[in-house]
Amino acid sequence: MFEWLHYFSYARKFHQAGVLGMNARNYKIIAHYNKRSLYPLVDDKVKTKQLANSIDINTPHMIGVIEHQYEVIDLPKIVRGHKEFVVKPAHGSQGKGVLVIKKYQDGHYTTASGKELRFREVYQHVSNILSGLYSLGGQYDVALVEELVHFSDVFKDYSFQGIPDVRVIVYKGYPALAMMRLATKESGGRANLHQGAVGVGLDIRTGNTLQAVCHNQPITHHPDTGADLMGLKVPFWREHLLIGAQAYELTGLGYLGADIVLDKDRGPMMLELNARPGLAIQIANGRGLINAIKKIDKDYPKNLSAEERVDYVLNHD
Amino acid sequence: MKKILSVRGLLTLFLLLTTIFAVWATYYKITVWGFSFKPTEKSDVWTIDAHVSFQPTGEPIEVSLSTPSIAKEYKILSEDTVAKGYEVQKDDKNHRITMRSKGRKNKQNVYYRIMIYDNEDVTGKVWEKTPPKIKKPAFNDELQEAMINEIWTLADAKEGSAARRIIELLNEEELAPQVDAFLPVKKSPKIMADKIIYLLSVKGIPARIVRGVKLAEKKHSSRADLMLEVYEGSKWKIYDIETGEDGLPKNFVIFQRGGVSLLDVSGGVNSEVKFAVAKSVISSFKMAGRRAKYENSRLFNWTIYDLPSLEQNALKWLMIFPLGILLVVLLRNVVGISTMGTFTPMLIAMSLIKTGFWAGFICFSVIVMLGLLIRTLLTRLNLLLVPRISAVVIFVIIIMQVLTVFGYQADWRVIASAAFFPIIITAWIIERACITWEEDGARNAIKQIVNTLFVAVVTYLVVSSSYIRHIMFAFNEWNFVILAIVMLLGTYTGYRLTEIKRFAALVKDK
Repeated sequence: MFEWLHYFSYARKFHQAGVLGMNARNYKIIAHYNKRSLYPLVDDKVKTKQLANSIDINTPHMIGVIEHQYEVIDLPKIVRGHKEFVVKPAHGSQGKGVLVIKKYQDGHYTTASGKELRFREVYQHVSNILSGLYSLGGQYDVALVEELVHFSDVFKDYSFQGIPDVRVIVYKGYPALAMMRLATKESGGRANLHQGAVGVGLDIRTGNTLQAVCHNQPITHHPDTGADLMGLKVPFWREHLLIGAQAYELTGLGYLGADIVLDKDRGPMMLELNARPGLAIQIANGRGLINAIKKIDKDYPKNLSAEERVDYVLNHD
Repeated sequence: MKKILSVRGLLTLFLLLTTIFAVWATYYKITVWGFSFKPTEKSDVWTIDAHVSFQPTGEPIEVSLSTPSIAKEYKILSEDTVAKGYEVQKDDKNHRITMRSKGRKNKQNVYYRIMIYDNEDVTGKVWEKTPPKIKKPAFNDELQEAMINEIWTLADAKEGSAARRIIELLNEEELAPQVDAFLPVKKSPKIMADKIIYLLSVKGIPARIVRGVKLAEKKHSSRADLMLEVYEGSKWKIYDIETGEDGLPKNFVIFQRGGVSLLDVSGGVNSEVKFAVAKSVISSFKMAGRRAKYENSRLFNWTIYDLPSLEQNALKWLMIFPLGILLVVLLRNVVGISTMGTFTPMLIAMSLIKTGFWAGFICFSVIVMLGLLIRTLLTRLNLLLVPRISAVVIFVIIIMQVLTVFGYQADWRVIASAAFFPIIITAWIIERACITWEEDGARNAIKQIVNTLFVAVVTYLVVSSSYIRHIMFAFNEWNFVILAIVMLLGTYTGYRLTEIKRFAALVKDK
């Protein structure tokens, strides 16, 4: 009957563990450090890409942008010469509306899951993107066509379809928490934890696995591929963190999430930035965000360059 | 100081001020306008008509009528005179109303009407320090003196005060021979009262007649009712002249007491005053306006309660929304339930009120299910977004038409309520559910719909209560308080209830 009273004891425990709740994130952090006027920089993937390229952050090469409905018919012209490509909404979120074409040959489109599409279906998908079906708030959108990422062999067995990516939470320019997200059969090749993807908490100093969770439960092996998650180590870890740290200068957002993929040939690449990164990273890491944030507020020096900040994080406990 | 000037401090101050204002306004409305917390609260309203008639002599006319000196016993709802061509003057201090006119010819009828409500128990005692002078009557002869003494001897055998003993003796069913001889054959209340006063004066006890009206239903043109007022130990005490009971009965309205007359008419003869009493039951809410007018409360004209009922009903509907909004805020930001669209559940709840719960619930489910089916078929046509959602809207309208007609013909009211649902909202729910279904699987789509319906039902349960609806309408100042709470919740940074389950793993093993 009085089980609800446990709420208070839980709230106290959460508070002690430094768990950041949704309300506190929105009110204390996002509202304070993320100016609304800066949102378009990260909400529009075309803009983010151009910004990143301006300071030599790697991103997947852009093939083209489809802005108007009448241009959709020209898609084959745009992707001419490419054997594979990705179409995504510039204002999408949570991987919605991303169409990965693994094989494009003779007017046949094969998706990442092996499904064969006709042009009519691809055309439909791009039209949906333009009409705002996948965009935040449903406004008109543009479709971004870019090169496919070939993820590093290091992660070969770690993901069921989909691309494994590293999410770094950056607070005031300092990488605070990191995790790797691995798609599962259940998540449908997408990397969203609430859909059943695996979250692997990473040590912010080394890029080694701390723990792994799926559906809030700790696991040691990937549910579909059986790969040992505890032995995961992300190579080029400093470069990963550097992309996150540079994103701070790039956007001016005090609290952001950087999604980074590791390409076989081109190394770590910035996939997208997020001005309202979710809180699931705490579950993957098994630790709250507030402690890290407090430490950065209190001890970490200000006015360092991105490189200096990354070095500071790598060398301080 | 810094703490007070912070956003949260200012909002807390705002909440405090609005609460104080709301409490004061509620108190004012209850005491001055007579609003009640209960939507069905009714008051008995008594209308007393004093009908004065007389034959003018041709001289200038002056009618002076004693009016109820109402202090605690009753509250006056309205006071009115019907006297055409008369100049009416009210003397509140002496409780008299005077109507003047030049000389007239025909029989005159003037009316004084008073509407009162809320009778309260009072003892009817009037304090007066100096005892009135009384002259002991002189007896005509010894025989009379002996008879009076015998009557008193009989009375003394009874219990209670002198007045009570004598009244009881004079009202016995089988009168003692002495008493029978003393009283005249024809006994009117006036004669009885006079005899009692006479008997009391023998003992040196001052007494006088009180005239008023006994509130009883179906009373047409009757004379003033009489009671007796007896001076006992520095105060006047009221007695019923038939039973000898003391204290002012609940249903007695005094028009005249003491030395003044009930009615004075100069310039007229054969004057008489007759009373008619009627009882009506009015909801306290409807009475408020009339009461405010009597109290000269100008403020009332600037409230929603002085509006025509059409506007009032529309506002009544509008005024539950703040409470619904507060609930949505609580359920989303404190409990942490995610729904389809922020205010969608509230709008569904409003529709449920119009349709009735089960009818609306079943009907809504049927519409959404049929809509989802049609939307799934539409998917195959690969339409663009805007035309597709528009098609869903039109389909929803068609479903509503069919259901309403079908329900009406089958006399199945449950289905006939389809037309009350907000079309665009319903269409959006169908569209969102379908997309969630495709992208995140059936489980998430159903979860979203269930969440939305859950919030809608909770909101419905709160706003469907006629009590709460009445309170939100009658005491609309609480809207300010709700506004303050909602704004204050905008600074709530604590955990959401649903986050307990989400983050439980983070603290489990520690």
